[in-house]
Amino acid sequence: MQIIMFPLIIIASLLIGVVAGLFIPSGLPSTLTPYIAIAILAGLDSVFGGFAATINNNFKMKIFITGFFGNALLAMLLTYIGKLLDVDIYLAAVIVFGTRFFQNFAVIRRFLLNRPSSGPTQKKS
Amino acid sequence: MKMIHAQIAIGSVCLVLAFTITLQIRSVSYNRVNNPNTLRAEEIQKQLRQAQENNLKYAEQVMQLKEDLAAFKTDAAESSDYSKTLLKQLERAELLAGLTSVEGSGIIVTLRDSKAENTGNIDPNLYVVHDADVLWLMNELRDAGAEAMQLNGERIISTSEIRCAGATVSVNNNRTAAPFEIIAIGDPVNMENALLMRDGVYDTLRYYGIEITIKKASKVTVNAYKGNISFKHAIPLQAAQ
Repeated sequence: MQIIMFPLIIIASLLIGVVAGLFIPSGLPSTLTPYIAIAILAGLDSVFGGFAATINNNFKMKIFITGFFGNALLAMLLTYIGKLLDVDIYLAAVIVFGTRFFQNFAVIRRFLLNRPSSGPTQKKS
Repeated sequence: MKMIHAQIAIGSVCLVLAFTITLQIRSVSYNRVNNPNTLRAEEIQKQLRQAQENNLKYAEQVMQLKEDLAAFKTDAAESSDYSKTLLKQLERAELLAGLTSVEGSGIIVTLRDSKAENTGNIDPNLYVVHDADVLWLMNELRDAGAEAMQLNGERIISTSEIRCAGATVSVNNNRTAAPFEIIAIGDPVNMENALLMRDGVYDTLRYYGIEITIKKASKVTVNAYKGNISFKHAIPLQAAQ
C-alpha cells in the first residue's frame, strides 16, 4: 500500500511545485540566481539521499530535515564567501553534491532493478 | 508508520524543490534576455540615434532659414539707401560675431598626442593634448592678433568654451578629439612667432612629445559659427536719455 502511494506523493508534489513556480508573477533578481542554483543542488542531493535512505530503511527525519536546510544554507554561504574572495568555492559544493547524487542514484537504481515483483520493503514494514 | 513520515517529508521537499527549480529556470532565462545593463545600453543607443536624426533635421531647417534670410536681406537692401546702410552694419556685426565664413592669410596649427613611449613612471596625462593646451595656444594666437579662429571646424566666438569633456574637448558644446587642427586668420608671422616664443607653447608641448606643426598660409578659410546664440540673461542697457 505505502510503496504504491510513494510515487504518487512525489509526482503530485512535483506537479504542484511546477505549477506554483509557473504561476508566481515575479521572478528572482539576477543577483540571487547563483545562490538559488546552488541551493537547488543541495535540495536535489537531500531528496536523492532521502530516497536512498528510504530504500535502505534507515531514513531519519531529523537528518533529512537538517540536511536539506543545512546543506542549502552552507552551499549558499560558500557561494557568497567565494564571491567575496573571488574564488569559485561553490564548485566544492557542486562536486560533493554531484558525486553523492550519482551514488544515491546508483542505490535507487539497484533497488528498482533487483526488486522482486512484490517488493521486499513492503514485507519488512 | 515511519515510512509514511519519510514519504511526506520527501514529498514536501520535492514540492519546494520543483517550485524553486521552475522559478529559477524562469528567472535565469528572463534575466538573460532582460539584462538591465544591455537594456539600458539599448535604450541609450536608441535615444542617441533619435537625437542624431533630430539634429540632422534641425541642421536642414537652419540651412533653409539662412537661405530665406539671405533672400530677405538682398530684397531689403534694394528697397532704399537706409536699408542699404543697415545691411552694411549688419554685415559688420555678423563678421564681429563670427556668423560669416571668412578667409585671409593665417596659420594652421595641428596638435597630435605624443607617440613617445612612456619609459619612466611619468604621468601618461602629460603625453596627451589637453583642453588647457589648446586654450593656451589659442589665447596666444589671439594675443598675436588672430581675427578669426576655428578648432576642428568649430568657429570660436565670444561665447565659445574650450573645455575638457572626458577624452575629448568640448567647443561650442560639440565634442572634438585629437588630432586638433586650429586655423587662425591674422598676421601669419606674428602668430607663428607668438607660438615659437622661448619656453612658450611650442617648446612646452614639444617637451612632452606632443606633435605640433605650424603652417603659414596666404589663404585659409574659417567657418561661420553654426550654432544658435541666444541671450537669456544679458539685456542691453537702455541709453540714458
